[in-house]
Amino acid sequence: MYRAIMPNVENPTERTLAGLAINDPMAIEELFTSEKVRFDKQLAAKHPDEVNYTLMKNAWLGRKAGVLTLITENWLKSAPPALKPIVGQSLNQLKRHIEESLETFRVAAEKGSEEVASNRDRVDLSLPGVLRPVGSHHLIRQVFQEIEDIFFSIGFSVVEGPEIETPYYNFEALNIPEFHPVRDDMDTFYLELPKGAPTPLLLRTHTSPMQIRTMEKQKPPVRVIVPGKVYRRDNPDATHSFAFHQIEGLAVDTDITFCDFTGTIEYFVQQFFGPGVKTRFRPSYFPFTEPSVEFDVSCPFCGGTGTAAGGGTCSKCKGAAWIELFGAGMVDPAVYGFVNYDAKKVSGFAFGIGIDRLAMLKYGIDDIQIFFQNDVRFLRQFP
Amino acid sequence: MKVVYNWLKDFVDVTAPPQELASRLALSGTNIAGIENGPHGAVIDAEVSSNRPDCLGHLGIAREVGAIYKLPLKSVSPKPAESAAKTSDAVNVEIQSPELCGRFTARVIRNVKIQPSLKWLKDRLEASGVASISNVVDVSNYVMLELGHPLHTFDYDKVRDHKIIVRRAKPSEKMKTLDGVERQLAPDKDRQLDSGICMISDGDGSRAVGIGGIMGGAETEISFSTKNVLIECAWFEPISIRRAARFLKLHTEASTRFGRGADPEMAELASRRAAELILQLAGGELLAGVVDIYPGKRAPKKLRVTRAEILRVMGADVPDKEVEASLSALGFAPVRIDQNRGAEGSLLAAWECTQPSWRAEVEREIDLIEEIARIYGLDKFPPRLPAARQGAARLPHYEAETRLRDRLIGLGYREILTIPHVAEERDALFRPGGISPARLSNPLSEEANVLRSTGLVTMAAALEWNVNHGQRNVRLFEIGRHYDLTSRKNDEPEPPILTIGATGEAREKNLYDPAREFSFADLKGDLDSIGELAGGFAWRDGGAEWLHAARRGSVVLGANELGSAGQLARRVAEKFKFRQDVFLAELELDPLCTAYLAAKEARRYEPLPRFPAVERDFSLLLPDGTHFSDVVKAIRSLNISEISNIEAADLFRGKNVPAGKYSLLVRVTFQSREATLTDTQIGDYSGKIIAVLEKQLGAQLRAQ
Repeated sequence: MYRAIMPNVENPTERTLAGLAINDPMAIEELFTSEKVRFDKQLAAKHPDEVNYTLMKNAWLGRKAGVLTLITENWLKSAPPALKPIVGQSLNQLKRHIEESLETFRVAAEKGSEEVASNRDRVDLSLPGVLRPVGSHHLIRQVFQEIEDIFFSIGFSVVEGPEIETPYYNFEALNIPEFHPVRDDMDTFYLELPKGAPTPLLLRTHTSPMQIRTMEKQKPPVRVIVPGKVYRRDNPDATHSFAFHQIEGLAVDTDITFCDFTGTIEYFVQQFFGPGVKTRFRPSYFPFTEPSVEFDVSCPFCGGTGTAAGGGTCSKCKGAAWIELFGAGMVDPAVYGFVNYDAKKVSGFAFGIGIDRLAMLKYGIDDIQIFFQNDVRFLRQFP
Repeated sequence: MKVVYNWLKDFVDVTAPPQELASRLALSGTNIAGIENGPHGAVIDAEVSSNRPDCLGHLGIAREVGAIYKLPLKSVSPKPAESAAKTSDAVNVEIQSPELCGRFTARVIRNVKIQPSLKWLKDRLEASGVASISNVVDVSNYVMLELGHPLHTFDYDKVRDHKIIVRRAKPSEKMKTLDGVERQLAPDKDRQLDSGICMISDGDGSRAVGIGGIMGGAETEISFSTKNVLIECAWFEPISIRRAARFLKLHTEASTRFGRGADPEMAELASRRAAELILQLAGGELLAGVVDIYPGKRAPKKLRVTRAEILRVMGADVPDKEVEASLSALGFAPVRIDQNRGAEGSLLAAWECTQPSWRAEVEREIDLIEEIARIYGLDKFPPRLPAARQGAARLPHYEAETRLRDRLIGLGYREILTIPHVAEERDALFRPGGISPARLSNPLSEEANVLRSTGLVTMAAALEWNVNHGQRNVRLFEIGRHYDLTSRKNDEPEPPILTIGATGEAREKNLYDPAREFSFADLKGDLDSIGELAGGFAWRDGGAEWLHAARRGSVVLGANELGSAGQLARRVAEKFKFRQDVFLAELELDPLCTAYLAAKEARRYEPLPRFPAVERDFSLLLPDGTHFSDVVKAIRSLNISEISNIEAADLFRGKNVPAGKYSLLVRVTFQSREATLTDTQIGDYSGKIIAVLEKQLGAQLRAQ
């Protein structure tokens, strides 16, 4: 229809409405429709990219020579007053259509360009990032922390004590008099004494001296754990180091019984090894506890069966289904005598956990010396 | 103690198979190391604890088995045939030291035939791991393993005057023991010390024929030509035996049993049992009666145990019949003595017990409770958590140490733990003057003969280990202690310290950046990052002797000098054969942690500035020796409150810089809390800064 009317007009926007001999609203709408169709055709023919977007934007919306500028100049400004509103309205409609179409085109162009770029510059996820060097806690420290946290959560305070001790605290006040056979099992390092030293000095063979030091300072109730280094004069090999680590525990109160003791130990074991692990108490002998026990846990590695997952003997418990963990017991009343506690009124329990052994067990370490070599290849394994 | 399963059956009719028996023994207090099935049946390896000498014989283990399975113990009552002649006419015994020897029995058997033992006896000894020698000697070993009581046999004819005198060792006394070793039994005369060793001597007492309770002498031992045998079965005081065994470094089966406390009442019975067996195996005639000198005889102790105390200690009840059954089976002969006796489960229940002669270590009510509990079964006491009575506290410096540790780890340092035993000469490399190291009097080796005076010696060793194992880029720290008995500060012989060590590359080469070696500036920056937690470190010229003279400093916090930091001196590095630079620092931990808490308490929010900051760079030529801190001080002396920061932005020497000078780019940040600063104000401040630097430091402004 439009073409029928204006077959020979190359670019109608360069002429005025009068020049196009248009003077009724119908014709004006047709004119705008034809411009819209022209725009849509041009846009549809173009691949959406940055260059085509700019090209189309300049051609249609360009301030100096864009189609819309021409329409404004040639059609709107010179339109007779009666037709001006209809020209203006149609122009606005066309403008909105062009702007919206171009925006859609631009978004498509942007997406397209990212796709191109990503094929070229995509990060290789298999390449390493920049690793800033980070340090690590020593494994023994991690185990200490874990055990401290378990006991802290049930009301045990943490205390520390000296490594250089006197025979009184290390032995006598713990009911281990001189020539007691137990002393033969605890080969002891002694120190050369400075002049005027009132008593021999030794390196503590266990963290138990802090039982005495704590009770000397404090009246019951007592709930403490004592992490620390201890020393025994053993020749070093895969399972012996002349320095190693312990956590001592002590609870004394007016109503602590053997049941409280086993309950506390059981709680610790299940927190540390997992809820399925069982405990077993065997009577034993230590001079500073009575009754004394050694206690075992059902092997956490084979589920207490003694058989490894793939068949064969469990290497951790060596088929025994139980693993011996450490010694403990009810505080011997004789110990209370050394700290002026009334053994008739108070009772309590004490235990000593060997940390190195526990860590070796849990993490499958077969040589205790590795803890003290501080090889970064070892340290790195426990970040 | 090897427990031969079939041997136990001589004393108790146990039917449980060995494996189960071992497990029940373990759960009632006899630790089991293993079970072996050998040619003589099952042998259970029992690790008897040092308080249970009664279990160092099959009879004692059988008693435990009887208590566990509620089986009666068969009585042991040997009745060997005796001849008319009396023992008391044949041997004379005198105890001069009753404090060492509480009982001495003697029996004599004439006309024995010394020969190899019979098979059944050999087999049992072999199963127990004891070599068979001859019938008479084997009998003494057999009886020891059976009844737990050691005894000794002499060649009666070699005992002079057939007289035994038991006495203390004399100064410088020597004798040759059975094992052929000449032993000194007491310190030399001039030391005037009494070793307290009990000697068995003969005749007039001048010749020793045995060390009481430990080992017999070579001169009177049984040989294949022996005709007449004297059986000694005695009781020696445990502590003196332990001292003697330690003094002599001679630990025997006998010294173990007597040292832990043998049963004095058993001495005569064991002697009779030995006589019975010798007659059976070697023939001969036993003289009538026994010579039994028993100055140490004591009336049996009475002990009491109450239900109230069982409940107080154990937290759960044990039925009357279980209390009575376990105590009876173990030989304590319990008798109810309370007014409610006859009433089952009375809370007032009390039992009077008699201490058996073989259980001298059971002296108190708590000891009886342990006996009851272990036989009843420890698993019968239900576990529960105790009530909490107060809040729990961490270590005083827990928070500060945790923050320090976490920051160091964030900075790339790995925590280490070390053994403080080091070689004295290595310790000396780092030891401050005037300190003598804590020296071990019995070190395991000269490589570990002192406790470290600083953590640096072990830190350097850890770096050395890593470098020698192909790990050249290492950053480590340790929170530990150093040791000093001469006490440099506050009488604290083992103050806590923080030690830091670094070597190799601060940044390793990667895809994006080149490598960079760790330098003093890295160490200083890392330490200042820690210092920030405690209010900030100051650095002073100086530092320890073991540090490189040009690359070291001392670290100061408030009024405290905390320690030194820097590059390890060449002289020291060479001792460790380091071929790369090593950086070390050691700080006292207590003041650092205290300052951490103080800084935390003092910290307050500072409002963020609302007006923009302006930076100005000053490119200065400064005379060598002028410190950056001098520049800061000079600028600060202007008291321009709008100067919010002064930093060193660039530094170089050499090309285009005149000799004796260096170039420093100083960046000053201006910022006002009240208004945006104008160009005029900045220009004014800059002019003043240039003027003061020129005047105070002789600085020249370089053309930009």
